[in-house]
Amino acid sequence: MKRILVFLLVLGAALATLVSCGQQAGAAGDSIAAYDPAQSYTVSIGLYGDLEAAYKEVFASADFKAKFPNITIEYQTSDFGGHHNRLTTVLAANEATNDIEALEVGYIAQFVAGGGLSNLAAAPFNGVSVGSGLVSFAMANATTTEGALVAMPVDIAPAVMFYREDLVRAAGVDPREIENARNWDDILAISERLKAAGQIAFPHPNDVAMVPLSGGKGGWFVNNQPLEPKAKFMGALELVKEIRDRGVDADYGAWSGPWVEGFANGDVALMVNGAWFGGALRTWMAPDITDWRITYLPGKAPAALGGTYLGIPEQVPADKKAVAWEIIKYLTTSENAQLTVFRTIDAYPALVSTYTNPVMNENVPYFGNKPVRQIFADVAQSMPNEQVSEYDATALAIWGNAVTGVITGELGVEEAYNEARSQIIATIQ
Amino acid sequence: MTKINLLSDKRLAPYVFISPFFILFLVFGLYPIGFSIYLSLWRWTMRGPVEFMGISNYVNLLTSDPFFWRAITNTLWLLVFGSFTQHFVAIPLAIGLNDKVLKGKEFFKTAFFVPYITSTVSATLIFSQLFDNNFGWINYLVNFFGGENISWFTAEWPAKVMIATLINWRFIGWNTIIYLAGLQSIPDTLYEAAYIDGATKWQTHTRITVPLLMPIIFFGVTMSIIGGMQLFDEPYVLMGGYQTMGGIANTGLTSAYYLMFTGWSATRFGKASAIAWILFFFILLMTMVNRKITKSLDKRSL
Repeated sequence: MKRILVFLLVLGAALATLVSCGQQAGAAGDSIAAYDPAQSYTVSIGLYGDLEAAYKEVFASADFKAKFPNITIEYQTSDFGGHHNRLTTVLAANEATNDIEALEVGYIAQFVAGGGLSNLAAAPFNGVSVGSGLVSFAMANATTTEGALVAMPVDIAPAVMFYREDLVRAAGVDPREIENARNWDDILAISERLKAAGQIAFPHPNDVAMVPLSGGKGGWFVNNQPLEPKAKFMGALELVKEIRDRGVDADYGAWSGPWVEGFANGDVALMVNGAWFGGALRTWMAPDITDWRITYLPGKAPAALGGTYLGIPEQVPADKKAVAWEIIKYLTTSENAQLTVFRTIDAYPALVSTYTNPVMNENVPYFGNKPVRQIFADVAQSMPNEQVSEYDATALAIWGNAVTGVITGELGVEEAYNEARSQIIATIQ
Repeated sequence: MTKINLLSDKRLAPYVFISPFFILFLVFGLYPIGFSIYLSLWRWTMRGPVEFMGISNYVNLLTSDPFFWRAITNTLWLLVFGSFTQHFVAIPLAIGLNDKVLKGKEFFKTAFFVPYITSTVSATLIFSQLFDNNFGWINYLVNFFGGENISWFTAEWPAKVMIATLINWRFIGWNTIIYLAGLQSIPDTLYEAAYIDGATKWQTHTRITVPLLMPIIFFGVTMSIIGGMQLFDEPYVLMGGYQTMGGIANTGLTSAYYLMFTGWSATRFGKASAIAWILFFFILLMTMVNRKITKSLDKRSL
């Protein structure tokens, strides 16, 4: 019996080795046929959240139909987590998947170093020159240290400060003080005045925790050393500690009922988030509130809190890659597509040329009839290019617990930083 | 050339008939098991094998990984207070349900079993509402009785207690039904004989019920060990998924949770496979210990 078991186990291992070798051989690149406008294509695209609604508008537009009458699009849409779990699973298993896959910026890092997606910088894609008109930080986030481009940025989420004008005025704060804040100390001082008037500034310290880290989409490692420069990360911990210690947050967990309702019922007066959050406020979170306003983060600090990328999995058949690339090029570099998506779901364009489009200078009635979209453009263009690594997800998870430890008072700032750093180093060995 | 008819050849036919199981077992059972041994010896990322590690994945986990032993400790704590405690509640409940004078048995059996068939995610989301730090019913009760709000999600020990409560709630009913089935297989004649001999209720439980229930207890505890060591869904949903790694001080990070994080969030499939194999040996060891304990209790009681 023992002999049979050992034999079966060895057989299984041998079979596994053979199959894995076969898979790698099969994944080797076949030559990519050129896109043929005379041929009919069906392209499948894997999406999450409300992207399908936006892209359906794009693909129904006269411009797209005139350029690509031969292309039919099929959608596979899931919720945010389900989509990325599926994608990670199929790519890791070298399985076939959709011809185009959307990725949120938080997931880009594992694909940048980990593989699974076609290198769009290589011929025939030449994505670096195609994407020369896209914001540079977003392109940098999808580029490996060897120069491979794993996906193209289609929308970004420049971070801004949202504030309720009626609530801050009621607390005796002139909105210009928020607009002209030079640093977080100024905002904390304003928060204390709000508190004195019975207002709550932020829903939770976690809502601003990533802002000093430019949003935390990359920048976790410098020369393979985690959490450097130290001052930047210490600053983030000190900020959340100050917010909690001064009692200017409501302790509402993100996306909990009270957190969502707080933006409509006057519980909170300040919030930091990406451009998309403005759309959420306007359409479903607080559609009846006319007092939300938008300004720069203190000191006009740049940060991005989200964004979407489109990539072509390596397992996509060679004859489909060219047409998938045509679709990605259209979605990322055509003003029609970028502005249609922006109008539909408020996903801010990654294409810089759209920032001078008249629609970007329009006054937005919901936000005090001011041309707030230019703020997003300014932030997007001043974002630093951060390097991403395959260990970002690990660093982010460990850092998140350090932040929670500081907020709850279980850890001091220095202690939390040191513990997080040593944990990251030990984990990525 | 002679044609071989597989089904009429008496030497081959039995193998043909049993082959579907072995083919399926080879493809879906043995192949993944063998592949995971192979994986565990590599540094394996999204792009496949990157570097042969030998047994380094195992050594690093056991000697220097800051989360592995924390995850094991958390798992063992939850095994004791989330899984083993179930049996101390389930056995008396089953004895109660087995009592001839109890009315409405079917109702109670259904009521106890409902948590087990409730979707884990739904139940966990409801528990997260109940235990909400600021607006939950549990803290409302704590306040009502003069206590202060407990930070169920952001303090280490309250979070553990919350997870253990959820696990107990979900699985006590399942264990109760298993023990009830065991109790119903004990012949009534033994109880009648004990009654005639003048045994008290307590004596019949300790001298008849528990000894004869020992194989079922072994089965129940073994299932709890396996389930407890594989505990994932409840802490994962309650504590916020991969992004939190079990929440404050990794209090909800179980070994299976860490395995899944390592595989699907950190995309270190080799290391995740090594965790899986270490877990396998832990479960094997604990099952053997359990076997030894229940056997010795069994002998002592006879």
